[in-house]
Amino acid sequence: MIEFKNVCKKYGTGTEAVKNASFKIEKGEFAFLVGTSGSGKSTLIKLILKEEEPSSGNIIINGKDTTFLKPNRVPYLRRSMGVVFQDFRLLPDKTVYENVAFAMYIVKATPKHIRRQVPMVLSLVGLSGKAKMYPNELSGGEQQRVALARALVNNPTMIIADEPTGNLDPDTAWDIMNLLNEINLRGTTVVVATHAKDIVDQMKKRVIHINKGVIVKDDRKGGYDCEI
Amino acid sequence: MRFNVINYLIGEGIKNLFKNKKSTISSLMIMCATMIVFGLFFVIGENINSFVENVAEAQEIRVIIDNEATEEDIEQLGNEILSIEGVRNAEFVSKEDALDYMKEMLGDELIEGYEDRNIFSVAYDVTLTDLELNNEVQESINQLPHVKNIVSANQVISQIISLAKGVRTVTAGILILLIIISVSIISNTIKLTVHARRKEISIMKYVGATNSFIRWPFLVEGIIIGIISGLLSVGIIGLAYTGIAGKLAETSFLELAHWKLLEFKDMFNLILVVYLGLGIGIGALGSGISMRKYLEV
Repeated sequence: MIEFKNVCKKYGTGTEAVKNASFKIEKGEFAFLVGTSGSGKSTLIKLILKEEEPSSGNIIINGKDTTFLKPNRVPYLRRSMGVVFQDFRLLPDKTVYENVAFAMYIVKATPKHIRRQVPMVLSLVGLSGKAKMYPNELSGGEQQRVALARALVNNPTMIIADEPTGNLDPDTAWDIMNLLNEINLRGTTVVVATHAKDIVDQMKKRVIHINKGVIVKDDRKGGYDCEI
Repeated sequence: MRFNVINYLIGEGIKNLFKNKKSTISSLMIMCATMIVFGLFFVIGENINSFVENVAEAQEIRVIIDNEATEEDIEQLGNEILSIEGVRNAEFVSKEDALDYMKEMLGDELIEGYEDRNIFSVAYDVTLTDLELNNEVQESINQLPHVKNIVSANQVISQIISLAKGVRTVTAGILILLIIISVSIISNTIKLTVHARRKEISIMKYVGATNSFIRWPFLVEGIIIGIISGLLSVGIIGLAYTGIAGKLAETSFLELAHWKLLEFKDMFNLILVVYLGLGIGIGALGSGISMRKYLEV
């Protein structure tokens, strides 16, 4: 599903953000990417999304080597992934419904398909009653649910979440994590970059530790800091 | 592409126009101003072109035929002249015509007595399709048999040609300037919209929107600004031109110069096509330029 082979990423400034990273996340897996800020987590996410190009090595996604993917194919690669960010990134002048439908417009879905799919995803994330509200009328947790609904609406094969609970209080953070877990149980691969230690410890999922650009540990059922 | 997608893309473009009313209006105004300046030179240029054409039509080269030529020779010469590139017409001038012409030129007294022993040669009056071919045509005619000599106002012709060339160069220069100014204005306006919507654009990129899908609304915005300024400018130029031409027609200046101004409706089609073309082209180019940076997510 997602495979890194000896991937290095050096930025123009000379910073070596990722050093010789190799790992493989299988279809249907739930994996945490953990590490302190500046450890290279975000770069790994950007490499998966093809927002950044690796300096060397290969990245294989859904069986396809994306290293030499033409720029005009990148949008189609991204349609196979749903992305969730720490700051939600919702459009403030669009309602909850429109924010989710927007993702379907972009992939040129038919109006009929949109009318059927959006309410379904909104009920999945528990926001059926708030479809007509605007993002600023929602709590942080609800906004992140909208973002999740938007990520899910086009039926991606994987969800990539970059610090999805970073802006949320612990209870709400758990809500979101449980929702991600539920999505994972439906067969979607989930990759979560986070430094929410207690969540990682309790969820007993696969944990990939990254420190100063190096993958130092890959626990099948790990916790946050098992002696790095 | 499906119909609803096209609707969506055009609708977004139109929404953009109203979201940034201030910058839309200011770029409309500046585009109009530059287009009107260009229009000024354009209508003057068109008038000078039509003037030159009229002069070209009236400008005759008299090809005088020697006395040995038989009637068949003369007829053949006429056909050969007509076959030269750039010749519009060749009209035969008989001995009598030539005499009348001289009378007109010099007055009856001087020519008196020549009626009985007409010494004037027969000739062809040749008109040209394009004055710039003047020299080539004369050279070709000179090589034909039975041509005695050629009489023409070479200096006048070359002056008219250089005047027409000058006007064309200035118009082209102004046009290029207009395009550069307008493209930068439009690209700035679109940049503001793009900047205001950069968050939306980045979300679109993450959800997997293709670049062309992201670009279209902005192209639509630029093209609409271009078309509206084009139409406004044509209207303003039309009104101003009709007014000024009317005033000029009342003075005797034009009559003295044998110059009849074109009517605006004669130029309307050309101006409309040129302006719509410019508006669409400039709008598309301007927004294309401003989009480049933001598409690299």
